Amino acid sequence: MTEPVFSIRNLFVEYATRDGDVVAVDDVSLDIRKGEILGLVGESGCGKTTLGKAMLRMIQPPGRISGGEMWFGGRDLMTLTEREMQTLRGRRLSMVFQDPMTSLNPLEKIVDHIVETVMTHEPGVTEAAARDRAKDLATRLGILENRIDDYPHQFSGGMRQRVMIALALALNADVVIADEPTTALDVIVEAQFLDLLRELRDEFNLTIVIITHNIGVVAEVADRVAVMYAGRMAEVGEVGEFFGDTRHPYSQGLLKSVPNIDMAEQHLYTMTGSPPSLLRPPPACRFHPRCPHAMVCCTTEQPRFAEVGSDHSAACWLYLEHPNKHPLERVDA
Amino acid sequence: MHPLLLTFLIIGVPAGIGLVYIFVRGTSSMRRYIVTRIALTLPMVLILATLVFFVLRILPGDPVTSALGPKGSPEVKEQLRENLGLSDPILIQYGRFLGNIVTFDFGESLVGAHRPVSDELGERLPATIELILPATVLALLIGILFGTWAAARRKRASDYGFRLYSVVIYAMPIFWLGLLLQLLFGKVLGWAPIAGRIDAIVGTTLDRTTNFIVIDSIISGNWTALGSALHHMILPTLTLGLVLSGVFVRLTRINVIETLQEDYVTAANARGIRKHAVTYRYALKNAMIPVITLIGLQVAILLAGAVLTETVFSWPGMGRYLVERISSRDFTAVQSTITMFAIFVAMISLAVDIIYSLLDPRVRY
Amino acid sequence: MALDTKVPMGEPEAMRWASELEDVGFVRRILMARKWYHADWWFVTISAVMVVGFIVLALVPQVFASFSPQEQVGPRYLAPGESPDVEALIAPVDSGFSTVGDLAVGERISVAVVMGEPSSEAVRDESDRVNAAFKEQGIDAQVSLRIERYETLDAALTGILDGDVAVAISSSKAFEELAENYPTLNDVGPVAPGVNTRSFPLGTNQLGQDVLSRLIWGTRIALIIGFSSSLVSLFIGVPLGLFAGFTGGKIDRALTVLMDSLYAFPGLILAIAITAVLGPSIFNVIVAIAVLYIPTYFRIVRGQTLSVKESLYVEAARSLGAKARVILSRYVYPNVIPSVAIIFSVNVADAILTGAGLSFLGLGLPPTTPDWGIDLARGQETIQTAWWLITFPGVAVMLVVLAFTMMGEGLMEIFNPKLRER
Repeated sequence: MTEPVFSIRNLFVEYATRDGDVVAVDDVSLDIRKGEILGLVGESGCGKTTLGKAMLRMIQPPGRISGGEMWFGGRDLMTLTEREMQTLRGRRLSMVFQDPMTSLNPLEKIVDHIVETVMTHEPGVTEAAARDRAKDLATRLGILENRIDDYPHQFSGGMRQRVMIALALALNADVVIADEPTTALDVIVEAQFLDLLRELRDEFNLTIVIITHNIGVVAEVADRVAVMYAGRMAEVGEVGEFFGDTRHPYSQGLLKSVPNIDMAEQHLYTMTGSPPSLLRPPPACRFHPRCPHAMVCCTTEQPRFAEVGSDHSAACWLYLEHPNKHPLERVDA
Repeated sequence: MHPLLLTFLIIGVPAGIGLVYIFVRGTSSMRRYIVTRIALTLPMVLILATLVFFVLRILPGDPVTSALGPKGSPEVKEQLRENLGLSDPILIQYGRFLGNIVTFDFGESLVGAHRPVSDELGERLPATIELILPATVLALLIGILFGTWAAARRKRASDYGFRLYSVVIYAMPIFWLGLLLQLLFGKVLGWAPIAGRIDAIVGTTLDRTTNFIVIDSIISGNWTALGSALHHMILPTLTLGLVLSGVFVRLTRINVIETLQEDYVTAANARGIRKHAVTYRYALKNAMIPVITLIGLQVAILLAGAVLTETVFSWPGMGRYLVERISSRDFTAVQSTITMFAIFVAMISLAVDIIYSLLDPRVRY
Repeated sequence: MALDTKVPMGEPEAMRWASELEDVGFVRRILMARKWYHADWWFVTISAVMVVGFIVLALVPQVFASFSPQEQVGPRYLAPGESPDVEALIAPVDSGFSTVGDLAVGERISVAVVMGEPSSEAVRDESDRVNAAFKEQGIDAQVSLRIERYETLDAALTGILDGDVAVAISSSKAFEELAENYPTLNDVGPVAPGVNTRSFPLGTNQLGQDVLSRLIWGTRIALIIGFSSSLVSLFIGVPLGLFAGFTGGKIDRALTVLMDSLYAFPGLILAIAITAVLGPSIFNVIVAIAVLYIPTYFRIVRGQTLSVKESLYVEAARSLGAKARVILSRYVYPNVIPSVAIIFSVNVADAILTGAGLSFLGLGLPPTTPDWGIDLARGQETIQTAWWLITFPGVAVMLVVLAFTMMGEGLMEIFNPKLRER
């Protein structure tokens, strides 16, 4: 197997809050392979957006990356200066944000957004040349040429999202991180957007990380899936293996929760309980309070990742050896 | 030419030219906006003038008795009341009042030489403008600069330093600051004069055509007069400008902080745009929009401060005129001066809104 | 920590750990807040202490002020800490003279005075008084003086040493300057007993009143004006704002236009107009200033009411049949109260400033009121010679306004989630 294009090793991200420190990303390791679309899934507050931002080292105080390494282009990003990170951002690592409406400067024309990005990273380029490139890119993404001089508020949501992609691609980034890119879009526009992503990935050989809480999107477009829960990675695998043979109890619960038109039952399945507060998280495996298969060892020791398929692993004691796998006695609440 | 009219021309003509330029070069929606906005000014002036009218009439206290004092005999009082039209029904008075405003007929002063109030205002309005304009510019410069620095250095020592500055300087009564500056720079150090617009002797050499001393001295090439005028402007402008800057520092800081937390700033950072470009081109430009509208509201503070500053520095402007006339119970002059202030406020409001629309494209479309 | 093996299904364990935090008391919460809010915490706390201090001063000024503010307690224009210059008796150390009465030695006694000074008059007045007192008490003694005039104090003092005169009368300050040249001579005390030789920590003004006492009493006036006018504005502006925001329609529009015009107009000028017409009294000042701030409360409250009214959770509540009263109390009030508190704080500050401005211009308050603005106006005339007359009242205004403004600012940073770091 080739070197991953981006490799996260034992990353920790903490936030200081009024009531104490919160560990939003807790010892997460993840490899991202070149040319793949990786779907990073989880509930709200599980840490996936934080992870995405951490990849560009855009965690602002009171948050901070408190440990771990991130390898990209042969260097650990944690060792770079802010200046060096700035040269990477936009150019080799880029991000598409959730809400295209608020992500664009209302006072700048669309074309100027792209021109500015180009000229920041390639100071030798003249404004006219940058404008041409902007025009090219925009039309490639389906934005009409006569509209590039318009302001953001004159575009629809779907078009704005295309502008965001254009910005991410303006400099042929290696890795594009898309944070909830379709949440603000309606279903039809969402489908178009996902098609576009696939085309771009094929045409430019991009690596895309899609962060989403919508497992349907992941099923549509991803090559590999990574599931996060309460700041930790629960399950990672190739998409076919994941959906065909879901292993981690949380992922299983997730899939069961998605309503299905073929469903025969009257009741929707819901997982009991709710995501834990990250201020005082449950000890050891974070999912054990809600897990139907919880065992004693789940309350005492955090499970490592276990290989459960050819390109599939899950962090669960069900698939690992442990002396005390006695089932947890439950008191019916 | 009537001095008030002259003043309005001096301000109005360049403004008008600018307006016409925007009109011609702008898009149709811009034009529509300008027309609508100008049309709205009229009701605003109307409302303010009405407010002035009724406040001065509803409140107890008889202006005629106040003006003449106890020595006026009943017949003289009656005569004066008739002359002022105070014995007519209130609606007729109101109508006459509005009519007078349009023709700039502000009646005659009840005291002294009974000069037409519009003449006296005409001489003093330029003085107030010559004080307010540089003070505002100073306040803006300091305010925007300090405010942006404070926002960019959030939670660090300099942020608190700038915040403390803005709060302390606004807490100082403006007349106190004026007195202190007078004491320090005027008397103790002797660096700047503490009263009047221009040295008395030099002032006699100046041909006052427009009553804008700066303009007049430039027109006639009287450089000593210009120097004296600028010298006299230093302390009053500093006083008014410093106190006002406190407000602007606060406003700018808050707005820049809020803007820096907007998504498009995060997105710009994610594209590697340099920090100072983000601060100035994204945050500041966007933050300026609410700040500029709020500048319009600071006009109230500006004029209030002007009244006090003019009193401290014996600056012969409209503010000091108002205070003097109140002491001498000159009802006509008081009413007219306050009306004049109201018109002033409406005009500035109009100017600010048009500038605002130039900056923010969302408003026009 | 022993872990249960019995765990209720579904309960997030974290909830149990987190609830420990809520049992912490109020005072501890305030101290814990300091770590989070850093300097903002100091802003609010220091200003709160200052505000309380000023309120105490305003409530019981007589406790803190040594003198009545209207009373003349000393010579005029006394500098801070300066002792007044009095006519004093200068006598040799061993002479045994300590008052003018002691000069009744049975024969005429020579007294030196310096020409042009009021010394001779002072000593004559006092000797007359003493003689009258002796007569009344039946004491058979009289002070009989021969006044010798000298050109300079030096000559007069030398005269004592030479034996030409027994004692000298001079201003104590003048003697002080020459004292070291005449070690055998002493300033034994003021000629007129009971004259005030005390100094005042902040000096006296042009009417001989103690500046410090006036400052302390001035706090009462300032705070009365500040609080009263703000309260009046609040009780008129907030209900109007709620009403306008909630009702909407033409009434709302009319009120808004009125309030906007009022708001745009320079406050001081309106206040000047109102007080000028109404006349000088503290009540009129309060009314005038109150009018100015009604639009502020109105706008903010109306804005909040509108946004709450249109927010989704209120729509949801309405769809469930909640009455207007309930919506108001449960949704609108909690959102409005923090804003109103902040505005109130800043308003009091502004009202005090406006009030000081009004009294500085000579409008509004009766001239005998112990008020900072009035003091500043009077001090303007002697600004170069008596710098303390304008300095201290100005500092007082600044400190009070600062305290309230800082409190409002600090509260705003704490209440406003957008400005807080996420």
